[in-house]
Amino acid sequence: MFSTIYIEEEVLETSRVKNMLDRFPQVPRVVCERYGEVFNRKSQNFRLQKKAPALILAKKYGSKVLVAPDGYGYNDSRSYYFSHMLNCVYDCRYCFLQGMYSSANYVLFVNYEDFEEAIASKIEKNSGGGVYYSGYDCDSLALEPVSDFCKHFVPLFGEYPNAELEFRTKSTQIRHLLEQPVIPNCVIAMSFTSHEAGSRWEHKVPSIDKRLEALQKLQLAGWRVALRFEPLILDSQGLTPYESLFAQVFAKLDARKIHSVSSGLFRMPIDFHKRIVKLYPDEELFARPTTTADGMIALKSEDESLQLAAIEKLLFSHISPQQYYRCA
Amino acid sequence: MIKKFEKSLHGSESTPVNIVVAHALEAKALIPMLHLQPFQTTSRFVQYGNSNNLHLIVSGIGRAAMEAAITDLSQQQANEEGQIRAWLNIGIAGHSKAPLGSAWLGNKITCQESGVSAYPPQLIAGIDSVAVITVDEPERTYPEDAAYEMEAFSFFEQATKYSTAELVQVFKIISDNLENPIEKLDFKNIPIWIRLLQEQIILLISKMSELVREHNDSHRIPRVYRELCSRIHLTVNQKLQLKRLCLRYKALGLEADLESVISLAGSHSKQIISQLSAQIDRVGKQ
Repeated sequence: MFSTIYIEEEVLETSRVKNMLDRFPQVPRVVCERYGEVFNRKSQNFRLQKKAPALILAKKYGSKVLVAPDGYGYNDSRSYYFSHMLNCVYDCRYCFLQGMYSSANYVLFVNYEDFEEAIASKIEKNSGGGVYYSGYDCDSLALEPVSDFCKHFVPLFGEYPNAELEFRTKSTQIRHLLEQPVIPNCVIAMSFTSHEAGSRWEHKVPSIDKRLEALQKLQLAGWRVALRFEPLILDSQGLTPYESLFAQVFAKLDARKIHSVSSGLFRMPIDFHKRIVKLYPDEELFARPTTTADGMIALKSEDESLQLAAIEKLLFSHISPQQYYRCA
Repeated sequence: MIKKFEKSLHGSESTPVNIVVAHALEAKALIPMLHLQPFQTTSRFVQYGNSNNLHLIVSGIGRAAMEAAITDLSQQQANEEGQIRAWLNIGIAGHSKAPLGSAWLGNKITCQESGVSAYPPQLIAGIDSVAVITVDEPERTYPEDAAYEMEAFSFFEQATKYSTAELVQVFKIISDNLENPIEKLDFKNIPIWIRLLQEQIILLISKMSELVREHNDSHRIPRVYRELCSRIHLTVNQKLQLKRLCLRYKALGLEADLESVISLAGSHSKQIISQLSAQIDRVGKQ
């Protein structure tokens, strides 16, 4: 699963790290002082590292709960995100992480108690409320069997019923969620793209069927689930891929009980895009014509807003407009 | 297994790997193993190569010698095509208790003098790894569980200026330990140990070659770019624009369409770039 496990000296003797290491007796271990010695150094290549990523077990210092970017969330409540992990086990070609880091190794911050303290303090500053996203710099659930992340953080939000926790994921690792009591203020938001986009650009991601199966199990167990249709990459095939995707999704889930549905077009900071183009000069997606506005790059399309509106219309045949929001 | 790897190493596929050794005795076993021939150059460093692009340079002992050899070789191999090479340091080291002739890849290289460490990414499975400590004088007590040697840190630091860290590796062969101190090292054993490690060395070179080839293939610039650069005057900025356009054509599967612009080589550079640009914007949106 990992080519190497790097461990910061400071966390080497913690029981959480020892338990994690016990799971991988065969993986070579290397002790480092700080994760920054290994992760995101110059002269590293994300694309090459993705062939055999390493796990880095580290302690997170500094700010642990950050204000979410504009348009990330589904309501006007104060929104924050926290990242117990940097990088994702999946390999989606459109992902901005490829341009954000020069390293594809996974950094797992193991000082969960410090995150807990920071989240609790932020909730209290927000009079017990706010929306807290996990899954901005990683996939929230994909490493769950190793990290026990959900197992640890869901009970915290059980103590703050007015604060909302959203796990953004493409993973089917839901066992720990199913094993614990449901809390109504936790949302599991699964991301989907069309079959065509998935087979072209998403590598190592569980199939749409498997993801839907996981969501269905969660929904039946009483968990609130959400759908994130992004990034939408509009092609000459028009709406057809989305018609079939939506038909498949809403045949499996109880649409009335879905917490929220969102869609968003392919967007990326210009600098990240530049770096990704250098990594993947042979990738068709990054050779397409683009436009830039406000520091972001998008694929050039004359009828983008019409197509997006048509996709939304399709969605509204399954859900109510109140359940929907458009990502910025 | 070795035959399979040898086949790939000596077949028609390119092996864009630079092997750097400090001592001529380390080169001695590698030359026949890798079918290398003396490489004629004006460089002060002794070099060997083969028709598959595999190259070996003898740097001399110590950090300064290593830095100089890498700088020299990288200047010799400089190209504008964005093609890179892998770098592999093969050399002897001491360890407190590891058996003579055993060998590892370095997974953490520490410069004893500065205390700074570097971590070569471990993409190659099948070869065990160990920490390496680079010292300025031979180490006789081996206090850490690490291989002690004299060049690896400078090798990694210098070679990563010309390649990416994933393609820079050090392979250390144990030549001395507490029971067999360095003063008693019989130099004749060095080529023997290296010969016995043939399978690991060939595996390493083959896997590194595979990674570089894949990288270089994906970054290969269409021929038209070079052709146009040689025929018309382009500013530095125009060259960058043209290179990016050529790569976009290639990524969109339109490399053949680029050929048509060669006939425009008599035209102004601006015209060629804007024509290519307009055409790809039309096609790319479809």
